[in-house]
Amino acid sequence: MAEPVLEPRPVLELRAVSKSFAATAALKDMSLSILPGEIHAIVGENGAGKSTLIKIMTGVYQPDAGEILVGGVPTTLRSTQDAQSCGIAAIYQEPMVFPDLDVAENVFISNRNQSAVMRWGELYREADKIVGQLGVTLDVRRAASGLTLAEQQTVEIARALSLNVKVLIMDEPTASLSAHEVARLLAIARTLKAQGVAVIYISHRLDEIFKVADRVTVIRDGQHISTKLLAEVTEQSMVRDMVGRAIDTFATKTHANPHGEVLLSVKSLGRLGVFHGITFDLSKGEVLCFAGLVGARRTDVGLALFGIAPASEGSVTIDGTTVQIGNARQAMDLGIAYVSEDRRKLGLAMTMPIFANISLASLKKLLGLFGIIDRKAEAAMAETYHKQLSIRSPDVSTEVSKLSGGNQQKVMLAKWLETRPRILIFDEPTRGIDVGAKAEVHNIIRALAKEGVAVLVISSDLPEVMALADRVLVMREGRQAGLLRIEDATQEKVIGLAAGTGERTAA
Amino acid sequence: MRSLIGNWHPQTLRLIALGLALLAVILFFSTQIDGYLSPRMFVRITTSAAIVLPIAVGQAIVIITRNIDLSIGSIVGVVAYMTGEVLVAWPGLNPALVVVVAMGMGAVLGAINGVLVAWGRVPSIIVTLGTLALFRTFLVEHSGAKTITADALPKWLVDLPQKTAFLIGPLDIRVTVVLAVAACIVVGLALTRLRLARRFFAVGSNPDAAVMAGINAPRVVFLAFVLSGALAGLAGFIFLAKFGNITVVAGMGLELKSVAAVVVGGVSILGGSGSMLGVLIGTVLVDTIDNSLTRWALVSEFWRDALLGILIMAAVTVDTLAARSLSRLKAKGEGK
Repeated sequence: MAEPVLEPRPVLELRAVSKSFAATAALKDMSLSILPGEIHAIVGENGAGKSTLIKIMTGVYQPDAGEILVGGVPTTLRSTQDAQSCGIAAIYQEPMVFPDLDVAENVFISNRNQSAVMRWGELYREADKIVGQLGVTLDVRRAASGLTLAEQQTVEIARALSLNVKVLIMDEPTASLSAHEVARLLAIARTLKAQGVAVIYISHRLDEIFKVADRVTVIRDGQHISTKLLAEVTEQSMVRDMVGRAIDTFATKTHANPHGEVLLSVKSLGRLGVFHGITFDLSKGEVLCFAGLVGARRTDVGLALFGIAPASEGSVTIDGTTVQIGNARQAMDLGIAYVSEDRRKLGLAMTMPIFANISLASLKKLLGLFGIIDRKAEAAMAETYHKQLSIRSPDVSTEVSKLSGGNQQKVMLAKWLETRPRILIFDEPTRGIDVGAKAEVHNIIRALAKEGVAVLVISSDLPEVMALADRVLVMREGRQAGLLRIEDATQEKVIGLAAGTGERTAA
Repeated sequence: MRSLIGNWHPQTLRLIALGLALLAVILFFSTQIDGYLSPRMFVRITTSAAIVLPIAVGQAIVIITRNIDLSIGSIVGVVAYMTGEVLVAWPGLNPALVVVVAMGMGAVLGAINGVLVAWGRVPSIIVTLGTLALFRTFLVEHSGAKTITADALPKWLVDLPQKTAFLIGPLDIRVTVVLAVAACIVVGLALTRLRLARRFFAVGSNPDAAVMAGINAPRVVFLAFVLSGALAGLAGFIFLAKFGNITVVAGMGLELKSVAAVVVGGVSILGGSGSMLGVLIGTVLVDTIDNSLTRWALVSEFWRDALLGILIMAAVTVDTLAARSLSRLKAKGEGK
């Protein structure tokens, strides 16, 4: 392959950059070069290392090995300020603005070349000019507090421009934007490109990448897989690069397990402005997996079924009876349990011992005379699960915070199993736990299904979905993109539906 | 935030409402207390507010950064007493230098708070609750329960509160009042005009974004406490001049009054917004009520503190409700 003869010098270059956290390698030998005036898309599955990459480029993290070159010069980026002074800035899905300050001040807050005394008139004129360059109408005198997400992003982009940015990283900038706002953002990206700014565009939405990018880099498992001109890639090749891992440690299920009659039937379930049109049946002993990208609103469906954030439309039928689930108590009374993704925030009382956590959702059973908790029964209950789920700890009085992630997950599971659920919802059951514990959790889920529990697993981990599911429901941006039987599902098909390139397979 | 008035829309409405409330309070008490609308009452209220105003201004800076300073009453006490001691020892000291010394002492005490909050990462409510007690205990120990008396102080200081700066018609504007208002104006201008001072708002408005924007947030918070201490020092000086006799309880309870003046004046207790004009009106309102209650036959003067408490809660409640209905209106507007 002939290299173009006069390739411009990269503004930003990463050479063999590696970064590990504890024992996990987040980036391995990552090399990447960004040219001035290009829109460079970076794609990868959840957990491929994109966020770590951004944090390395913006000085939040320092690489363990490798080099960063800015304009051809090896540079150490110790902080976001360092990166900013090198002309590298980033905007995120959740913009960082100061709600009480007005737009103009927000734009210039990081700019150090301003006079000590505020010249408000000049500030407004300059801000107006920068915002104007972006082709956006925005009153620079208004407070930032009332701005829409898209407008806040514009403010952040303007802030970057005020710093004479050379490389602007956009991290999932369109995840919460409407179609119209997305079009405007893409236009802004092109404007920046025309001004010679290099834009690093990180998005799950492949259609946007085809609209705007010049080159596409695919990363997977913290490694650089490919960098190609847009003309050289197709949706299929991109998806293949994203997924194409050596199909992993978990065996993919080839056909569904036999299961019983329909237990849960959900029709056109929706919550205003969050998700809608979710329709599926779930039978006793069946495992249904919810697949999709981060932000596809899968968790919201789970929370609606568990009554934490109740649905506003559609119907839920359990055992042939239509039910209203308005809060978690009602859900639990209907035999639904929810093992949440965020163990710290929603799932466990970290400073309490194992036994107290296990008994928390079923204390009623343990109440003795005058409503005093029967400690002996409580301990016995905890011991049973301690053995059954092989929770690794000296005893059941160990504080939960001292356990590993996998064992915490088992404690949480024990808590919900004790409520004898008929429908069990798992949200990211193995996020952040090691491979061994992961296999154990998978076995527990399979065993539960075998006993006739209807299981719903929300997972961003595709191999996990392929290993557990009898059927796969794929969500994209709050909608149901497809419902596949495991016999028909492949990783490529699922990710195609999730990223919005696979309309053909959906039909 | 282009002027002393602050953000044009809701803030201005708030200031107008505040002005009207002040007017209503004055009219109400004029029907209740004989000879209320007199130059004498004017002097009484303004000279009393002159002590609270510098403290309220300092408190406002701290609250804008999303912190609180509960120790300022104790700082006022310590500074008033020790400035008295300095003057007893060196009666010939230049008056301007005395003010600088008082503010310097306050700044040092404020710096103690600032270090612990900014770099020690201890919540400000805990730090300043601690120093509220510590500074007071230091004063008790240091003074040996002795009192500074007016006859030991130089004549210029004792006469200072009676000194008139200028007259507006029959209204007598005292020097101490000018001093306090000047401090308020200087800080007010700085907060809107100085790039560095804008950081107080940035840090209070969104601490995470401030860090991302490359602002040294701990230094900003530290500076806020130092300023708060220095302004409490100024108040300590005015306190000493006004009362002459300084005991170990000097300045007690001023933290409550300052927080009341600040939140009534429209500074958001959640940080990030507020104007010095609001603080000025808030202080005058709080002090007017406070001073009028002592003369009002119908209510025991022990109700003064209770009323301050009610004012604080009412001001914050009104703000919260207003913010909530505003965002609801906005959501409706966007839904269309």
